[in-house]
Amino acid sequence: MNGLRLMWRNTRMVVLCAISAALYAAVLVPFKVVPLIPGVTELRPANAIPVVCSFLFGPAAAWGSAIGNMIGDFFGGASPGDIFGFFANLVYGLVPFKVWETIGGGESPVPRSPLGLAKYVFACLLASVLCADLVGWGDNLLAIRPFAMLGNVIILNNMASAMVLSPFILAAVYPRVRKGRMLYQDVMPELTPPPAALRVAGIALLMIGEGGAWALGNLLSTGYWVPAFLPAWMNAAPHDKSIAILVSPLILLAFAGLALM
Amino acid sequence: MAIQLYLDRGTFVHRLHPTVKVIALFVMFWSVYWVDNPIALLPIGIFMLWVAQLTGSWRNFYRYRWYFIILVFTTTIVWLFFYRQGTPLINLPFVHVSRGSLVYGLGRGIKLAELLGASVLFLSTTRVEEFTVGLAKLGVSYRVGFAISLAFRLVPLFIDSAMTIVDAQKLRGYDFEKGGLFERMRRYVTVVIPVFMSALRRANNMAMALEARGFGLRNNPTTLIEYPVMPADVVAGLTLFAIATGYFLIYYTGYGAITPG
Repeated sequence: MNGLRLMWRNTRMVVLCAISAALYAAVLVPFKVVPLIPGVTELRPANAIPVVCSFLFGPAAAWGSAIGNMIGDFFGGASPGDIFGFFANLVYGLVPFKVWETIGGGESPVPRSPLGLAKYVFACLLASVLCADLVGWGDNLLAIRPFAMLGNVIILNNMASAMVLSPFILAAVYPRVRKGRMLYQDVMPELTPPPAALRVAGIALLMIGEGGAWALGNLLSTGYWVPAFLPAWMNAAPHDKSIAILVSPLILLAFAGLALM
Repeated sequence: MAIQLYLDRGTFVHRLHPTVKVIALFVMFWSVYWVDNPIALLPIGIFMLWVAQLTGSWRNFYRYRWYFIILVFTTTIVWLFFYRQGTPLINLPFVHVSRGSLVYGLGRGIKLAELLGASVLFLSTTRVEEFTVGLAKLGVSYRVGFAISLAFRLVPLFIDSAMTIVDAQKLRGYDFEKGGLFERMRRYVTVVIPVFMSALRRANNMAMALEARGFGLRNNPTTLIEYPVMPADVVAGLTLFAIATGYFLIYYTGYGAITPG
């Protein structure tokens, strides 16, 4: 997580951040394939960009993803929920390279074997679920939209792009960027990952936190689980209070895991 | 493809201090957030329409007309699935139609439409550089502000580049609309890769140009354009304070709430 702060001292990383953001927004604004929920979200090829940029530019891509989404939101209507969208996209760009630093074994993230593909899917899934959790949780906290609506659509959207588009783009771009010494490890060699044991513990906490938040968010917002230990007024629709009390600790747990990585 | 919403009208709203405009956006979000009742949301909606008239922003509102309609309609429908309170008019396993769920859903829809309206107004009257100055005055690091403004500026360039590639591919007989959902997504690989590579070529040169001009040497760089605080900014600030307080009082006194019925 230190890299998120340190990268602002490096001019090249600031430029890569702006480039990642502009690329994301440039594909986000004009290319919307199919509306998933009209007026709310659509199947977006742009969601492939943060994943690709994450493996290439590390922390610069994380900020780039957040800023790119903010620019996209400005052209599609901003709301207080977009503050959560900002941080959700930040983690969507942060988690893939962080997870890859632990499970990648120093190899290229371009999936070329079944094991490589499994690792790639794992990294993208962790990023997509945390991104979806944050938006669903935030929008439900503000009682704008129910968790179950965005919490699931975003996972589908992100994973579709990460599986269908990102591997092809990575295969074409990654070798060239590595050759041009523009990978984040080349631009900022001082960004060394923490000890392996901490990173593994971080991934475990991340999995428990985001998986639990996703399950609880869905159960609470749909009313399929009404916690008996909470008073009735806290369980009432739009379930913002029950989600605040029960899902928030799990989101914090996921962030604690991310901090360890 | 025009993505900029800024309309150079030179009205007093356009001339307001950038920080006041950023605060105005926040106040609109704040005010809309506190109330659920569609009737309580009307005054701020009327206020926004008045500002739209004053600033000549109708063109942008017209551009988003379908989005406004779809947003209200979809949001109202969605909350029929999740707001399961009040005496049912129609009660199916998944859909619960009551007066309460209809009013609540409509309120959410109007709320989101007003939030979209606020961002359209903001973008119609604020240049990118004003936005970053506004953020800087509120304490955001100038490096972050620079990355945001650079990204905003690069987006039209990248979109142009992407559209040119789309046209070139279409001329060669490539059909982006062919195939199923994922096949259609995969077809965008041929657009994203060239845009990505041309962006990376810019990144290196841009970083060198910035460093040659001393980017990052000082933490508080001087700016070319100064934005003095004028009496109109004070009046606008007081008006915004009154709106924010008024809406909080509507919430506090219970007039902004709806009752399930």
